[in-house]
Amino acid sequence: MSGEPLLSVDNLSIEFSTERGVVRAVDNVSFDVRAGETLGIVGESGCGKTVTGLSLLRLIPSPPGRIVSGSIRLRGKDLVALPERDMRAIRGRDISMIFQEPMTALNPVFTVGNQMAEVLRRHKGLSRRQALAGAIDMLHRVGLPDPARRVKEYPHQLSGGMRQRVMIGMALSCGPQILVADEPTTALDVTTQAQVMEQIVALQKEFDMAVILITHDLGVVAESCQRALVMYCGRVVEDAPVKSLFATPHHPYTSGLLRSVARIRPDRVASLPVIPGMVPDLANLPDGCRFRERCDNAVARCAGETPVLDAAPVGEGVVACFNPDNAASGEPLS
Amino acid sequence: MSSASPVADVATAPTEGRRSLWSKALYKFTRDRLGMGALAVVLLYGVIAAGAAAGLWGQDWAALSDATWAAASADHWFGTNRIGQDIFARALYSTRTAFEVGFVVAIASTIVGALLGAAAGFFSGSWIDEIVLWLMGVLDSIPFYLFVAAIAYAMKGSPFGMHVAMVATFWTITGRLVRGEVIKLKGQEFVEAARAIGVPRLVIIGRHILPNTFHILLVQATIVFVAAIKSEVILSFLGLGVKDSVSWGLMIAEAANEVQNGHFNNFIWASVFLFGLVMAFNLFSDALQDALDPRQVA
Repeated sequence: MSGEPLLSVDNLSIEFSTERGVVRAVDNVSFDVRAGETLGIVGESGCGKTVTGLSLLRLIPSPPGRIVSGSIRLRGKDLVALPERDMRAIRGRDISMIFQEPMTALNPVFTVGNQMAEVLRRHKGLSRRQALAGAIDMLHRVGLPDPARRVKEYPHQLSGGMRQRVMIGMALSCGPQILVADEPTTALDVTTQAQVMEQIVALQKEFDMAVILITHDLGVVAESCQRALVMYCGRVVEDAPVKSLFATPHHPYTSGLLRSVARIRPDRVASLPVIPGMVPDLANLPDGCRFRERCDNAVARCAGETPVLDAAPVGEGVVACFNPDNAASGEPLS
Repeated sequence: MSSASPVADVATAPTEGRRSLWSKALYKFTRDRLGMGALAVVLLYGVIAAGAAAGLWGQDWAALSDATWAAASADHWFGTNRIGQDIFARALYSTRTAFEVGFVVAIASTIVGALLGAAAGFFSGSWIDEIVLWLMGVLDSIPFYLFVAAIAYAMKGSPFGMHVAMVATFWTITGRLVRGEVIKLKGQEFVEAARAIGVPRLVIIGRHILPNTFHILLVQATIVFVAAIKSEVILSFLGLGVKDSVSWGLMIAEAANEVQNGHFNNFIWASVFLFGLVMAFNLFSDALQDALDPRQVA
């Protein structure tokens, strides 16, 4: 954990105007990504993790979405202020993205080779033939069998896993520094999931790039990430190295998430533990800590004040909680 | 004008892509006997039109002869009209007129509908969409024949007044269909993926989205083709359409006076030619629609 961060997100807030008023989907999110690191962003549906990922490439549908404040710095250059034209040059070349649904992420009317070549031609100015050769080489590296034949095929002729490999190959073909992977394995079956994740990790080493893995699957995070952000209702509630996050979660929400993972246990449990209550409505958020109503640790201060990251001292990470689980010794809480 | 078969264009359509959809559709179409029969009839008309355009037959449609109101004979297969013109030649040459109107209007209104519909769909909710929708609403609300009459007067002397009027009204249906399809397509991840690799928006519309609407455009073009031919007949009958040439509509307009005197040749043959083409083209269009329906093909 040394050196300048490759990507630095600072106090990023994103709002969507909806029929029910302005909804702040991402609220003052800050995090750093270092070169070669794998950062997991976890949280349940609607917590803002995908919007955060899309914002890194400025792909938020606008309208209705809008980055209202904060900065996203790639090697010091603020992407939020960049004109669309310069942003296009960054997409696919410096920062790439792969999507959840490999079935629809490829254009059904073009061959695999045609679509892969487009990236290379656009960013590297290769000729059609060179780009196709590059595409075949890339498909070979992502472990797609018989790539010379596959480039001539249409997406519907490939299986889900193959398509996701094509997407990965397309995303990596210009050697990006950062890969944003939004639920890359969710739509795949379990055996394929493992293969695809292994491939991403292997390629990450080969290309020496940072990966931002957006997922709700804590198992994937535990296996593949060095560090993870836990998001809840548009805010980062905990940011810690994966080992300590899983061993000693500090935010009550993180603890709750870990407890509710289905796994083989030595003791039989009558029912899987769940976090009580409901996620608050983003258009109508409570004051103070957004998790407070579902939280066993809630104290008086949680209602009035919004906890920020490092609200209380904890082990290796930072946590946005006034009364965290497994609190570091000392510093009694009010 | 004389490229007889719209289907030939399809096989080598610029998509080239979705080979599976097109080849499956082709397979399905070739097994549709009614559709294939209709296509054969349409092709026959196409050959007639091409021959007339190339000067092979029907060239003496305007030639007068002494035999007025002659009955069908070896010289005049369908007889002659009031001023001794050969009805067979006139019917053949009218096929050319019909195809010319059909092709010009179908191609132009499909292009206009595709471009404006795609722009409105991609930028749905923005001012571009507002303007296109407003334009469609205004054009759709004007009664068709009134509109054509207005344009025909405005473009007095130009042989294309009728074409302009038809394109101006027919594109709106294609435009609405394309707009809806584009709104559906733009939410799909491949569009987002294209943006994520840095493709500019206009290129996304042209290269990634529009090729996915080709099946709609093709079917819509055939429907407009038939509609244009029918409208041409009606407009010509009303005196708003073809001038300095001959068409089935003009023949029927002539016949309006003749039938009272017991001369039916003009009326019967123009109607038979028109009915045959419209019927065959409609059946062909239906078969094409069935073959290209993605829900059934995919």
